[in-house]
Amino acid sequence: MIFAIFAPLLLAFIIPLLSKWKYKVHTGWLILPIPFAIFLYFLQYVGADFQPQMVSVDWIPSLDIALSFHLDGLSLLFALLISGIGTLVVLYSIYYLNHKEQLGHFYTYLYIFMTAMLGVVLSDNVFGLYAFWEFTSISSFLLIGYWHHRERSRYGALKSMLITVFGGFSLLAGIILLSIVTGTTSIQGMVEQSDTIVNSEYFPFILIFLLLGAFTKSAQFPFHIWLPDAMEAPTPVSAYLHSATMVKAGIYLMARFSPILAGEPYVFIALSLFGLVTLTWGSYMAVRQTDLKGILAFSTISQLGMIMAMLGFGTKVALFAAVFHILNHATFKGSLFMIAGIVDHETGSRDIRKLGGLFTFMPISATLAIFGTFSMAGVPLPFLNGFYSKEMFFQASLDNTASGAIAETLVTIIPVLAVVGSIFTFIYSMYLFFNTFTGKSQVEELPKHPHEAPKMMLVPPFILVLGVLVIGLFPTIFNESLITHAADAVYGGEANKEIYFWHGLIPAFYMSIAVVVIGAIMYLTKSKWSGVYQVLPGRLSMNRVYDWMVEKSETASQRITNTYMTGSLRQYMVLLLTAITVIVAGVLIKTSGINFDMAETASITATEVIVTLLIASAAIATIFARNRIAIILIVGVVGYGLAILFVLYRAPDLALTQLIVETVTVTLFMLCFYHLPNLKKDTSSWFTKSTNIIISVAFGLLMMVIGISAYNSRSFDTIAQYFIDNTYKLGGGDNMVNVILVDFRGIDTLFEVAVLFGAALAIIGMIKLRRNKGAN
Amino acid sequence: MINLIYLPIVLPLLASVIAALLTKNTNITRLFSQITSVVFLIFVGGLAFYIFQNGTIVGQAGGWAAPYGISIVGDPLAILLVLTTNIIGTAAIFYAPKVLEEKQERFYFYALYFLLIAGVSGAFMTGDLFNLFVFFEVLLMASYGLIVLGNGKAQLRESFKYVLFNLFSSMLFIVSVAYIYAITGTVNLAHLAERIETVEQQGILTAVGMILFFVFAVKAAVFPLYYWLPNSYVVPNPVVSALFGALLTKVGIYSIIRVYTLIFVHETAITHSIFIWLAMFTMLFGVIGALSTHNVKLIVTYNIIPAVGFMLMGIGLYTPEAIAGSVYYLMHDMVIKGALFFLIGALVIAAGTKDLRQMSGVIQKYPLLGWIFFIASLILAGVPPFSGFIGKILLLEGGLRQEEFLLVIVALLSSLLILLSMMRIFVYGFWGELMDGLSNETKRIRQLTIPGVVLVGLAIFLGIGAELVYPQIESISNMLYERTDYISSVLKE
Amino acid sequence: MEIILTVLASILFSTGIYNLLQKQLLRIIVGTVLISHGAHLFLLTMSQVKRGAPPLLVDDVSSYTDPLPQALILTAIVISFGVTSFLLVLAYRTYTLNKTDNMEEMRGSDYD
Repeated sequence: MIFAIFAPLLLAFIIPLLSKWKYKVHTGWLILPIPFAIFLYFLQYVGADFQPQMVSVDWIPSLDIALSFHLDGLSLLFALLISGIGTLVVLYSIYYLNHKEQLGHFYTYLYIFMTAMLGVVLSDNVFGLYAFWEFTSISSFLLIGYWHHRERSRYGALKSMLITVFGGFSLLAGIILLSIVTGTTSIQGMVEQSDTIVNSEYFPFILIFLLLGAFTKSAQFPFHIWLPDAMEAPTPVSAYLHSATMVKAGIYLMARFSPILAGEPYVFIALSLFGLVTLTWGSYMAVRQTDLKGILAFSTISQLGMIMAMLGFGTKVALFAAVFHILNHATFKGSLFMIAGIVDHETGSRDIRKLGGLFTFMPISATLAIFGTFSMAGVPLPFLNGFYSKEMFFQASLDNTASGAIAETLVTIIPVLAVVGSIFTFIYSMYLFFNTFTGKSQVEELPKHPHEAPKMMLVPPFILVLGVLVIGLFPTIFNESLITHAADAVYGGEANKEIYFWHGLIPAFYMSIAVVVIGAIMYLTKSKWSGVYQVLPGRLSMNRVYDWMVEKSETASQRITNTYMTGSLRQYMVLLLTAITVIVAGVLIKTSGINFDMAETASITATEVIVTLLIASAAIATIFARNRIAIILIVGVVGYGLAILFVLYRAPDLALTQLIVETVTVTLFMLCFYHLPNLKKDTSSWFTKSTNIIISVAFGLLMMVIGISAYNSRSFDTIAQYFIDNTYKLGGGDNMVNVILVDFRGIDTLFEVAVLFGAALAIIGMIKLRRNKGAN
Repeated sequence: MINLIYLPIVLPLLASVIAALLTKNTNITRLFSQITSVVFLIFVGGLAFYIFQNGTIVGQAGGWAAPYGISIVGDPLAILLVLTTNIIGTAAIFYAPKVLEEKQERFYFYALYFLLIAGVSGAFMTGDLFNLFVFFEVLLMASYGLIVLGNGKAQLRESFKYVLFNLFSSMLFIVSVAYIYAITGTVNLAHLAERIETVEQQGILTAVGMILFFVFAVKAAVFPLYYWLPNSYVVPNPVVSALFGALLTKVGIYSIIRVYTLIFVHETAITHSIFIWLAMFTMLFGVIGALSTHNVKLIVTYNIIPAVGFMLMGIGLYTPEAIAGSVYYLMHDMVIKGALFFLIGALVIAAGTKDLRQMSGVIQKYPLLGWIFFIASLILAGVPPFSGFIGKILLLEGGLRQEEFLLVIVALLSSLLILLSMMRIFVYGFWGELMDGLSNETKRIRQLTIPGVVLVGLAIFLGIGAELVYPQIESISNMLYERTDYISSVLKE
Repeated sequence: MEIILTVLASILFSTGIYNLLQKQLLRIIVGTVLISHGAHLFLLTMSQVKRGAPPLLVDDVSSYTDPLPQALILTAIVISFGVTSFLLVLAYRTYTLNKTDNMEEMRGSDYD
């Protein structure tokens, strides 16, 4: 199984090499067998006596991250969809993309996606799942941006990545919390502890994080906006990622955790509400689109909403219907995308206003489209799989019971929303079919003269439509061998359900009929009421919110950054000093660190006081100095004063060094500042001046208070006694400071010299490089 | 074996002197530097392996026992960082000849480079507070020399600000040493840890510790002290920016980790909760900065800051796994920042501009550069299964366990915005119609991409092969958290 | 006396910072010099002054001033010297290239 999952990825690394020969053989042919083989591999598990399988390989055991794969009914269903539709899509793409395209890139991304998606639906380890999850987002980003010279492609790619990765990060937080609560990283392990999770205080957070992950990925309102823009991808990608597989990852996630979540009141409210709003909004918006793929994109959004809502209902019927609809949707929507691609390919246009009357030109495609659209619309015919799951959906929408005001209101609204959403679904399905294939043809307006697609290009949609029919005619075969197992996994127990065409005159049937009748009337009178779109959504759109946010993220960050990153050294220093002063002073007060219990201090003599006053007044004088020579001399006074202090405090070596260094420094100052302009009067504003004074005084005071407190808090003898004892004995010298410098702390001195060495290099570099530049 | 512990510090110093003397012929200097850094790398690799196997090695310089002499401590954390430093340094040495003018190489690029490595390695390995100051000065002096290399107008202007900020924080460093010496009478880190533990870090010590934190925070570029960073990292040569971006702020973060897991650990309710707030603001403002500009190099530079926030987050949380997260993130960030600066340098040379608005379609001519940059961006944003993910997951888990939900949300949000800032470069700079004026120096660009490829490869390994690395990091973080290993190895009790 | 010295060191810091916050290169550098003097003085003061003889071994003296801070200050002085010299040359070069010694005129957002 592990090989089956990783085979596409391994192949993805080789594809760039294969595509070198693309002029001889289309790359697609070379790699077509892989997904088909994977499909066959998973097909062997299908059967009434299927038992879940588990395979595991350690990856990072110390973090409990493993590549462990659990194949149960739900995973099997998805794995078959991924590999099966994957095969058809690759076959289809051979005719869709010609040699001139960068096939290597296309198939590399596609195969990375295949592995990632298989990984998502098979991983048992939550972190493994998350890793694959992010890779589906990334490969989707690359595929949407495949024609990256188009501005819209780049826009769509970035949008889908931002929204889905946002969800991904939220999912990450959710699974980390889950693993903290349960102490395991295995999904199966978590399911066993569902009570612990549900009763944990973190449960609301877990729920929000998981829902954000699922809603963004599965394009639920209001995160659906990335999906229509994702239609910039080549059509095989739209058929594959953006209708059949990747967008169902969020659905998968909710289905996977359904045994834990189902029945929780908040889960019911959140999933049903968002699901139904998405269903209704998506189908409502689909009617308004003019681009074939746009209709299909909003249709996908709406169908995903429907599945999500059913997962929210959480009843046996609902969960079964959800699983069943995942399969059905993949078949009819996949085929419709492919037909749309064919129409685009053969006519050069996807604009439904220009299309029409294509039945005569492309009869096969049109026939296939009939089955696809009618199944999607849920027309009650015994050979359309869409009807079965749609009717179960109606049935499930009537079955909910809940307590609590919000939940109870919701229970009554659910059937209404379900019907409204389905009416619009019916309308756009009809609109999609009839406006493309029937009516007056406008061949002269199309970029290409329409004709039927090559036979092999029709094979993939044909197979999918065949699926629609076979499932419709013989639902029991699929039920027993596949769907039941999947439903069991979602329900977390026996979810046995029979699939019948005729249930009798139950309410759900009346709902179906109502949808068809009202839908047909509304479709025929569409031009009468389509003005409603001027009102809703009108100018209201989540896209505008997204664009606004992205644009704001740039302009606002520019504004914020420019307010404080001014380039002014003074402002930086002011902010820095203020921050340090405030925080350190805060800590000092909080810890009652101020200590003015005077420890023993040395006596005060007149000489010292005079020198001290001299230094202090010189330091203050620097502020008022107006002359560059004067200021250098005043600084010299401070330095020499310090040397005198060193003498007084019995540090002869220091005094000597200070004298020499001070002399050299003053000389350097003189040399350098000879070339610099003279000092000017401080012309800054009164406000600036007082800020400067306040900050410098405050910082000085802080230093002083801490200094005095530190002095008074002496808690230990210093390590000095060791040096006094051992300078001669072990160091072999009389001068302790010297012995410390060259021996005890020799490394300090060595690297002190290194600093001087570095300074010398830097100075030489600065001066020499300039001369050379001048010479050039 | 013990004496070998000095070599990662002393040998680069020696190499620096030799490189400074070998200025006559640049080819020889170049060759010398390349060979030497490869040799160092192998040597440090061996040493690191030995230390991982056999535990901490402590060198008491000159044979003077701690706390009286200076201890050079080769504990696993220090040697791990020294090793990473040498890896990045070696990559930089091979990158340098392609981006530097011959004059810049001749005027002591290599000498200053080795001095920088000596300073950085010393800072990682020293066990003495004042000696840490000295090594800071060594690496800063080298960085001063490197940042002015080339003498551009804007370069000098920003260098001046850079030097002043660092100078000020160095002075504050001396004052903190003075305060600490007044209270405890010692400067040896392990001895400090021991003495401060006996007085339970009473009052004034916490405040002094905070000053020390700010000293390091200025170098680490923590909010609100990073003003000097963005511009001063943009102006120098790409190879210098890469060295700065990968190494300098990390020394600051390392020092915070060291001091706040070894010494000032008795008032965590105050100090470490301040860190958490600062970490949050650091992440946010850093990433806001990254979104605020169209200068590609500045975007990458700003992205240094949120990474610092991530590492500070782990210190603030102060649990073994969060510290492990910080250490993993530290190592990862050094590697990936080095890689990104190399790649951005190549991009700027290829496109002939730093302005994103004037670039497009670079990937059509330079696919390798484009894809490696793409992967590097994903690694930076912490996408699995790469190195950024491992650190991030540990930090997030640490944050969630401590119920710091706001912190976790800010961390995730800034990860997303980091990704946005990087993807903007990819989508608008690499994708799109082929731009005019794209460089034709295909060979040079390829050579400039290689060091980035190597480092990105390493980052991928640190993610996928995390099992080979993580247990080591885990034991490092346990050692840091337990503290006894460091103290007893140094003080030989 | 130590208290007075602490106050003096703080004054050096305050005046240094005040100069640092000015616009002209010369004043800024003067500021850094004052601050480093202040830092060195702190190091000296904090280890107590006038306790015992100068740290030169003499036979019949048993009490000496703490030699360690003196050694540290010596190292710090030399390092400060190196940095200050560099800073001076840098200031001079910055001035000649940017044609101004006013930091407020060197905010800049151009990067060559």
